[in-house]
This record gives sequence, C-alpha cells and structure tokens, in this order.
Amino acid sequence: MNRVFKALSDPTRRRVLQLLRERPLSAGELSEHFTVTKPTMSAHFSVLQEAGLIEAEKSGRTILYRLKVSVLEEALLGFVDTFARDAKTRKLAGRGPLKGDA
Amino acid sequence: MAKPISYTLAPLVVAAAAALAVANWMLRPERAWFWGLALAVLAGMTAALYVVRHRSGGETPRDAAADSIRGAVVFAALMLIVPLGARLAANFGLPPHADTARRLTMILTGGFLAFTGNTIPKTLTPLSALRCNPARVQALQRMLGWTWVLTGLGFALAWLVLPLDVANPVSDVVLAAGMIVTVSQVFLGQRARPREAGL
Repeated sequence: MNRVFKALSDPTRRRVLQLLRERPLSAGELSEHFTVTKPTMSAHFSVLQEAGLIEAEKSGRTILYRLKVSVLEEALLGFVDTFARDAKTRKLAGRGPLKGDA
Repeated sequence: MAKPISYTLAPLVVAAAAALAVANWMLRPERAWFWGLALAVLAGMTAALYVVRHRSGGETPRDAAADSIRGAVVFAALMLIVPLGARLAANFGLPPHADTARRLTMILTGGFLAFTGNTIPKTLTPLSALRCNPARVQALQRMLGWTWVLTGLGFALAWLVLPLDVANPVSDVVLAAGMIVTVSQVFLGQRARPREAGL
C-alpha cells in the first residue's frame, strides 16, 4: 500500500491515471499532455507500474499503458485529488494551510 | 511484489475452522455427519491452497488467480467459523446467539461481494485477446467493480444495523439492484459491439 500512496502523491502521476481512465494510451500520447522530458515520464510510468496501478502491454512497436486500479485505489485517487486541489486553491487565495497542517 | 495478507491468513482461518469442527465433533458426536461435512469442505480448501502454494503477489495471470483463490478461501473459512463457533459456544452453555451468527454470516457475505467487486477492474485481459473496444471493456469493468463494492457494502450495512426482519428484505433488494445493474450493463455492452465493429 505504501507504493500506492507514493505513486498517488505526485500530481503528474495522478494526471496520468486520470488520462488512462478514458482508454489505454501509448507513452507518446500520454507524454503529449505534459511538459516534462521523456526520461522523467518513464520514471513516472515505472513508479505507477511498481505500485500495480498501470500495466504496460506491447502492441507492435508501441507500448500501450492501461489503467489497473481497484475500486478502493480509484476512490483513494479521487480523495487525494480533491484534497490536493483544495490545498492549491487555498494557496492561490493566500489563505495558507489548514489548521493542523505541517 | 509483496504477498497479499490472504497468503498468511488463508491457512490460519482454515486451521481455526478445522479446530472448531473437531471440537464440535468431540462434544456432539451424534452429529458426526455435519462436522464431517464441514471437515470435508475444509479439506477441499486445503487442497486448493496446496495447489496454488507457490504462486502469489506476482504479475502473471496465474499469480492473480492464485491470490483470488486464497481470498475466496479466507471468506469461505470465515463463513464456516461463525456457525461452528456459535455451536461450540452453545455446547459450553453460552447463549446460542443464533441471530448474531446469522448476522455475522451475512455481513461476511456482503464483505465478500465488496472484496470481489474491488478486484474486478484490476483483472485485465491482454489487449491482443480482446475482441471489442478496450475503452468500453475498461469502462464496463470499472462500472461493475463500483456496483459490486457498493452492493456488498449496502448488503453488509443492512445486516449490521437493521432489525433482522427488516434486514432480510432490504438486503434482497440491494442484491437485486446490483444484479439488475450488472445484467443491464453487460447487455448494453453486447448491443454496442456490432456498431463499433462496423466503424
């Protein structure tokens, strides 16, 4: 479960999972949505694969990534996303972290 | 990959159920056929665990199947432990709590439905083996996963909080709703396939 939490802690990886909710995508198609370099994207894919949240499958010369999340992991992704968005909104509004945040 | 908790738990719960069955047999030998039947079922579970003993936590479909079998064995053994435990308690003069045993069994059934539903979206068929749109299959699996997790939780919750005479019909309705959603989604998916093939 630690690997799942680690994988979900990064916004890029969360965005990858959201994109894969629609359909399986190739590494190239996924990379188009981000400004980071290919090696960085590869590292993100590796973390997601190690956590068992995505699966890679070779199709001809391309590698297709598929979502492999359980219902619990999907609910967790939704929670993390909601809280991250809320924290970002608060930061942009200059309200600072919630009471009790580190 | 780390081994799931069922790897350790499955033999323990089977052993606990077997110990309860043997204890019951010794205290009430006149019902030997009943305890014998329970032990035969547990022997079947032990055989299943033995067959899959070397597979767990891996990436292959066989590893996933083995973990799924172990999870099912855990739930099945727990469902046996509840009535066996209740019978044993009754033999020692403790109140029989037949209602509590029934409640526990039904809560476990709900838990099993939720557990099974949780893993539905994680069970992937290789893309090369799929005969229809992978996006549709993925959407269907996610939908069915959520349906059975919610059905299982609703079923368990009904038996946890409602009076027995109300819990029975309510859990039936919850189960029927889950089945209707499943059948309708699969039926709609089947109907959509020919149109996609023609694209």
